[in-house]
Amino acid sequence: MTQLIKARQGIITPEVERLAKVEGFTADELSAKVAAGRVVIIKNKQHKNCIAIAVGEGLRTKVNANIGTSPDCVDFADELHKINVAIAAGADTIMELSIGGNVDDFHHQVINQFTLPVGSVPSYQGGMESIEKYGSVVGMKAEDMFEMIERQAKRGIDFMAIHAALNMSIIDRLKNQGRITDIVSRGGAFITGWMLHNEQDNPLYAQFNRVLEICKKYDVTLSIGDAIRPGCIEDSLDRAQVQGLIVAGELVQRALEAGVQVMVEGPGHVPLDQIPATIQLQKQLCHHVPYYILGNLVTDIAPGHDHITGAIGAATAAMAGADFICYVTPAEHLRLPTAEDVHAGVIATRIATHAADIATGVRGAREWDLAMARARKDLDWEKQIELSIDPPTARRIRGERNEEGAEACSMCGGFCAMKLVGEHLGKTGGSC
Amino acid sequence: MLTLMEMAQKGQEIPLFTLVAQNEQMKVQLLMERVANGRIVIPYNSHHKPQKPQGFGLGLSTKVSASIGLDADEDSLTDELFKVDEAIRAGTHAIMDLSTAGNMDEARRAIISRVPLPLGTLPVYQAFAEAVRSKGSALALEPEDFFKVMERQAADGVDFMALHSALHTGLLTTAKEDQRVLNLVSRGGSLLMGWMLYHNKENFLYTMFDRILEIAKKYEVTLSLADGMRPGAGADSLCRSQVEELVVLGKLVKRSRQAGVQIMIKGPGHTPPHQITATVQLQKQVCEGAPYFVFGPVSTDVAPGYDEITAAIGGAMASAAGADILCYVTPAEHIAYPNAQDVYRGVVAARIAAHVGDLAKGYKGAENWDLQMSQARREQNVESQKALALDRERLTDFHSSEKPFCTKCEKGCAMAVAGEFFQELPWEC
Repeated sequence: MTQLIKARQGIITPEVERLAKVEGFTADELSAKVAAGRVVIIKNKQHKNCIAIAVGEGLRTKVNANIGTSPDCVDFADELHKINVAIAAGADTIMELSIGGNVDDFHHQVINQFTLPVGSVPSYQGGMESIEKYGSVVGMKAEDMFEMIERQAKRGIDFMAIHAALNMSIIDRLKNQGRITDIVSRGGAFITGWMLHNEQDNPLYAQFNRVLEICKKYDVTLSIGDAIRPGCIEDSLDRAQVQGLIVAGELVQRALEAGVQVMVEGPGHVPLDQIPATIQLQKQLCHHVPYYILGNLVTDIAPGHDHITGAIGAATAAMAGADFICYVTPAEHLRLPTAEDVHAGVIATRIATHAADIATGVRGAREWDLAMARARKDLDWEKQIELSIDPPTARRIRGERNEEGAEACSMCGGFCAMKLVGEHLGKTGGSC
Repeated sequence: MLTLMEMAQKGQEIPLFTLVAQNEQMKVQLLMERVANGRIVIPYNSHHKPQKPQGFGLGLSTKVSASIGLDADEDSLTDELFKVDEAIRAGTHAIMDLSTAGNMDEARRAIISRVPLPLGTLPVYQAFAEAVRSKGSALALEPEDFFKVMERQAADGVDFMALHSALHTGLLTTAKEDQRVLNLVSRGGSLLMGWMLYHNKENFLYTMFDRILEIAKKYEVTLSLADGMRPGAGADSLCRSQVEELVVLGKLVKRSRQAGVQIMIKGPGHTPPHQITATVQLQKQVCEGAPYFVFGPVSTDVAPGYDEITAAIGGAMASAAGADILCYVTPAEHIAYPNAQDVYRGVVAARIAAHVGDLAKGYKGAENWDLQMSQARREQNVESQKALALDRERLTDFHSSEKPFCTKCEKGCAMAVAGEFFQELPWEC
């Protein structure tokens, strides 16, 4: 039974019990959200050592970091290092997106070694194997797609991006739309190429029940991939994207009916003023299941700084109701991220989600800022560093540039304006 | 001699108005109408006349300002000038020299002669620092001393000045009753308050506001009235003292405009995301549409070392809500004095935020920049992408794809099939 089915039956699972405490709810409250599909508890039954997390309405906004090899750069040790860097920076989940090297072995290692939920895009590994087996991605058989999903599920992948909300009518609409950047989702492009070459509808759409069966068996959280997410702000909220969202909503309904935990993936490039509309549209069309977005990237013109464009969008999106944010690193649009990029991406995204959590009143968010403000008032540097989002960085910058225990200023002798203000307002006198 | 505001009111279309209007793709008549009613300011001291004049305000692109300055007597002017160069290279639209130590006159003059952009200062810093030197205490400052410094700075060509004129004794009580977490984080505001408490006197920047207006008028200095009560923590945002000071600022806006002196208002500071729109709307309403110059805003307190990002989030939201100029925040904020690298990063992050706000505001031309970048991506044109990037220097390790086209899928490439269908170049898989 999945967490969703248990919640509907009124069973409080140990995960719900524990996560309710973490998130500041009663177990009954959290269980009701799970039963309604508004919260997912991410943990594959086969990922035995996984510490489940909860994603969804009213909960702390979660952050995902993507890692993975490319065909011309296969260094699994480096990818493991990136996972460790992401965890140290505070990522809640990772998605393993390798398309080079022995991915089966690597998944096995990642699942055994790490306790945080791990996500994947099965069509990536599927596409690779198809090249080996048939000489091309388009040569893949529908059976292969389901075999790959089952294989990854069995191995313990906790959530999977599956590009099921893509069919011929969406592709036609996309073509008629005349987008600037047609398809920027790699998985979406694979499936589109496959459909056009084979002149067949998308098996993941046509045989969606098979996807659901697998997810149900292992309690994999289904993440409906955003195959036609906009690749630039100009394409945001166009007819094709909205059509894809309508289809995603239909699939969400079927997943919920089948007792499968489900969330929906979202954009991508969205201008700031369209973010609330984008989120509200998803929430309404997709039965209020969690929304898992990339960024949002609020402008196209800052390559090298897309962790910042992503942070601006993520804060706005999470304020509007997005539940789960896939990080964007400074390397986005340029190359695969290095470990340093991974760190920068996770921290920037956590800043954004936290800022939003303050705004939406997520339990504990304001208290964190208040504690920091008090530490500032007390001029307690140790406490400030301890409370900062990335203590090693705060400590490094402070340590590099400030002499230890610099004496209080004595320039004005007994006549210090700052001291007078301090006495009047009852605070520690600041420096002038 | 008429001020810019008066010339705009009389309909005198001087070349400055034409130039600023052209740069912003705004009709000069509209620009002049807005200068005339104070919705737009063009800081342009008659003794400086910056080569690249900038307008701040309604319908113009959101601007970015970078603060630098000597902070200790041993600080080197060369270092500060390098920071100025870095800020300009990163694309700032204005510089503020906030020196509080060393040879402040020399530093300011060196910066003014170097900077083709509007330059701002906070004259009470120098006034108090000189009082410490010559009289042994900041508290020994006399109002006359301040006005001498202000006039000296104006005569040197300072284009805009931050002044805490709305900080009056009534606010001392409110601030005390407010029980804020961080009572006072504005340095100038704190010094003035200490002075007011010690002498048991009203703030001379408030009582002698007419003299400020006279000097400003004489040299065409744009006033940038500062918020002494700006919140220093998200929890203190929109507290009574902040709002009460804003009301007084609104009154001073009216007086300044009546005198024909250009004026803008400075704003926070620490503001949680859900209060940013309200903060900006409140200022716009209470201060009758005066341009709003915000500091960040810093959207959360918990990320020292990354405040260029907390501020980019806040800055984008504020700009979208109507803020006109963003004072940058650097990664060193709250922890250390910024170095040249911090300055560069702070300007770039603020420029991203300003541009994002411009997109949301529908500023003419903002969308087109993004569109061109997206077309360059579609065409896989690396050189165009580099040329269009907001910060080109970050793209040094971004090379055009020299590798031979992928041939792994001998029996048909999914990306090529999809690309052909959409009449695009095939994507990399």
